[in-house]
Amino acid sequence: MKRLIVFLTILGTFALTAHAQTETLIRNATVLTVTQGTLQNTDVLLRNGKIAAVGKNLKASANARVIDGTGKFVMPGIIDCHSHSMLDTINEGTLAVTSMVRTQDVLNTTDVDLYRELAGGVTTLNLLHGSANPIGGLNTVVKIKYGRPASEFLFPGAMPGIKFALGENVKRSSQPNLPGVTRRYPNTRMGVEETIRDAFTRARDYKRTWDEYREAVKKDKNLMPPRRDLQLEPLVEILEGKRYVHAHCYIASEILMLISIADEFGFKIKTFQHVLEGYKVAKEIAAHGAGASIFADSWGYKIEAYDAIPYNAAIMTRAGVVVSMNSDSDERARRLNIEAAKAMHWGDLTEEQALKLVTLNPAIQLGIQERVGSIEVGKDADIAIWNGHPFSVYARVDTTFIDGDVYFDREKDLARRPELAKERATLEQAEPNKPPARGQSPQTPRRRPSSHEDDAEVEKP
Amino acid sequence: MPKVRSRLLVASLLLLFVVNPLNAQRSAIDTYAITNARIVTVSGPVIERGTVVIRNGLIAAAGANVSAPSDARVIDGAGLTVYPGLIDSYTNLALPEAAPGPSPGGGGGGGFLLQQLQQQQRPPSGPNSTQPAGLQPEVMIEDVIRPGGTEIESWRSAGVTTALTSPRSGIWMGQSALINLSGDTPQQMIVRSPVAMHVGFTPLRTGTYPGTLMGVFSTLRQMMLDSQRYRDAMQIYERNPRGTRRPDTDRSLAALIPVIDGRMPVVMIANSEREINRALDLASEFKLKLIIAGGQDADKVADRLAKQDVPVLLSLNLPRRTTAALPEADPEPLRVLRERVQAQQTAGKLAKAGVRFGFQSGSMTNISDLMSNANKTIENGLQPLDALRAFTIWPAEILGVKDQLGSIEVGKIANLTVTRGDLFDRNSRIAHVFIDGRPVDLRPATGGGPMIIGQGRNTLAGSWTVIVNLGQGDRTISLTLQQEGERITGSISGPLGAGEISNGSASNTGEVRFTMSVNVEGQTKEATFTGNLANNQIRGNVTIVGSAPGTFTATRPN
Repeated sequence: MKRLIVFLTILGTFALTAHAQTETLIRNATVLTVTQGTLQNTDVLLRNGKIAAVGKNLKASANARVIDGTGKFVMPGIIDCHSHSMLDTINEGTLAVTSMVRTQDVLNTTDVDLYRELAGGVTTLNLLHGSANPIGGLNTVVKIKYGRPASEFLFPGAMPGIKFALGENVKRSSQPNLPGVTRRYPNTRMGVEETIRDAFTRARDYKRTWDEYREAVKKDKNLMPPRRDLQLEPLVEILEGKRYVHAHCYIASEILMLISIADEFGFKIKTFQHVLEGYKVAKEIAAHGAGASIFADSWGYKIEAYDAIPYNAAIMTRAGVVVSMNSDSDERARRLNIEAAKAMHWGDLTEEQALKLVTLNPAIQLGIQERVGSIEVGKDADIAIWNGHPFSVYARVDTTFIDGDVYFDREKDLARRPELAKERATLEQAEPNKPPARGQSPQTPRRRPSSHEDDAEVEKP
Repeated sequence: MPKVRSRLLVASLLLLFVVNPLNAQRSAIDTYAITNARIVTVSGPVIERGTVVIRNGLIAAAGANVSAPSDARVIDGAGLTVYPGLIDSYTNLALPEAAPGPSPGGGGGGGFLLQQLQQQQRPPSGPNSTQPAGLQPEVMIEDVIRPGGTEIESWRSAGVTTALTSPRSGIWMGQSALINLSGDTPQQMIVRSPVAMHVGFTPLRTGTYPGTLMGVFSTLRQMMLDSQRYRDAMQIYERNPRGTRRPDTDRSLAALIPVIDGRMPVVMIANSEREINRALDLASEFKLKLIIAGGQDADKVADRLAKQDVPVLLSLNLPRRTTAALPEADPEPLRVLRERVQAQQTAGKLAKAGVRFGFQSGSMTNISDLMSNANKTIENGLQPLDALRAFTIWPAEILGVKDQLGSIEVGKIANLTVTRGDLFDRNSRIAHVFIDGRPVDLRPATGGGPMIIGQGRNTLAGSWTVIVNLGQGDRTISLTLQQEGERITGSISGPLGAGEISNGSASNTGEVRFTMSVNVEGQTKEATFTGNLANNQIRGNVTIVGSAPGTFTATRPN
């Protein structure tokens, strides 16, 4: 029984014990710095949660953990700019504008997908609301500190963001027409545009009301403040440039539509998400200063996803757009390295350009490029050690570090499995775990994870 | 404002030996003495042999040297133990139209998903509310409770004298009341109302906002912000009604003012570690006086609960596997297996960490599990005295009635649970229950209906000969049963093995159920017996996981 107390969360124990590790030296590895090329036979020193040094023959203190990196590749932790992992709910689809809801309220630090993502070299996630609404909920940027409390997951200093969405999902194309049931407005792309314009018109009025109150209250202390409106407050932050917009979209016309609304109200779109037809309007996206966060080669799964091409990343990159590859899927998130590699095949991006798609570029899109996204002295020690070049389908992750602490270690994982199997056998014999003679039907086998969780209408199981 | 009866009680205290006209009509006899009994006062040392005197609904005296007054009806307490009446700190008792099956939501012991499914029924709705049903903090349980009913009687038969009762569902579920489980009118039952505001995190299932947990949190926030503003606007208006535009009245926002001012505690249903952390975060954000209900994994947040001085209404509806074992099923996650085992340790760990808690039944279907599950927490680290406190003085403190309930002290309400044997002994049974100074009927309701097990000749207690047929000929085993209300315990011996039966129950329609381990084909398996009592025989079926079903007939000497 005592052993049970020790193991607090699935596979989370070594993450907890590793917390004390303050210094790690990786010797003689191939280092994919992303910003300063690929360095052969190079050491990386992690100290106090930061990358302390990158070079040859580095010295570490006596109690440092030393890892032989011979034949291994060190890569910055992968950043997934579009994830719905660890969210208990994704889509507040009851209203067209839900800027008052926050993904941060529904984090589930025990989601096993997080551990699988660590095993794929991923260290940072942009947790987005779903795409049911033209204006969705607020995002949360996290480091995958699996085994730690939710408060420690929050990425310090990441720019606050919000999810917008356009097209089929928000006009509820896949919703059946039920007799007697009024469909939620909007039902057309025109209506989507009007919904967003209306929301920002209200936000502009709200801001003016508060600005006037703040002036007036200086003269009359007894003045009643205006009502605080949690729906409009985030939109005011967008107008003030304090919150990034991550906009789910597919087709060229709606991308141009959103750029024009943003110009009308004087704010910027930080990223277009999915943006399958981005290659058609790459110049306009670049001119607006927006980034694009895309799939490598996932398309045709609905009408608005028919006009995609696998050259999207290369074309937009060459047009000057900051491009990232995201998962939008707990499954795809485990192999974003391969998604990035595809961009070398489709469109001949260089290795460094392709690496940036899952490291520095998503960091820029989330406003955390000073902290992560490349292997440079002073940046956070969020890295993964691979046993081969991460663009090989045969490569796998040996160890994943966040802030210098180990959150995935393949050897330790394998070593713990017999112990866990034994624990399971013991637990299954415990009285509360015994199946009743007559009981409910067992759970149906888990569905394969959705490849586009954005579209998920129901909450995750 | 809480309509606490404390003033009445103080008055009654002063007039201890004068008949209180308010209660005089309730019973001609109002003085009782339980003599020669073991008295567990909870507030002081145990009195090994003493007398408790009840007069006018209150405890008039208790001690070793107390003698029974001449006008008292005397109950010989030899071999009996007197405890303060047990408090169930979260129920949906006394509500009209009890839902079929497990009462939904409630104490929140049943797991998050189950709660969500069960809470689909519509919450109560207040008149002229600005908010939809489920978001109406102005709903008061006091307005809808009804006395009587079989549910209340089965709770009393398990030794429970007092219960917190709250609306079943909703986000702002409404305001709860503490009730005594006797009385002819709702007014007589209520000990304190309102006790607390109740919050459930289950989204509205009407297709309207909020439809997800994210929306629930935002709605709770927005309404508390609106309530602050409403309070401020009302204050400005009341200071200077002439010349100030009158704010629209809003009962929902008005009901939240004591909550946001920290005067009324908020009970939030939260079981998992993350649910509890979210409740703690929201309470910190708005400086609420929080109480956690459910609390299955509260031990994992014990440090935070202790530091923020947040008590827990801990569910004794301990989680257990409910799905049958079928080969095509996915194995259960290790985390789930751990949580079920660890839930039995939560109470012990909370006590060690200094977190205050009261036990609650957590919408369990069979109230006889209350004591057997309390025993499981004792087997898993909780001190028996702390278990007793968690049924008595701790919930009394948490629910704001420590001057009226929770211990055997002079002047407190005479709610007493009297047992033969120690309360936590599996073989003990409830001998008497006093509520508001009067003995209450412990038997399930009678009537012209089906045979009532436990009445007269129909008690299951005794020695039975059971012929079991599992498809390979008859085998004869011996079964000894004890019965206490709907709960049956006992042991078996014979060719199928020897041991205790578990999960035994007898319904008032004559159905008998119990489970035991049997040796079949060289393996130990769990067999569930389900049968009906008729003509002093129990006949029915045996189901064994992974084996063919069988039949059984139990008989006993006439």
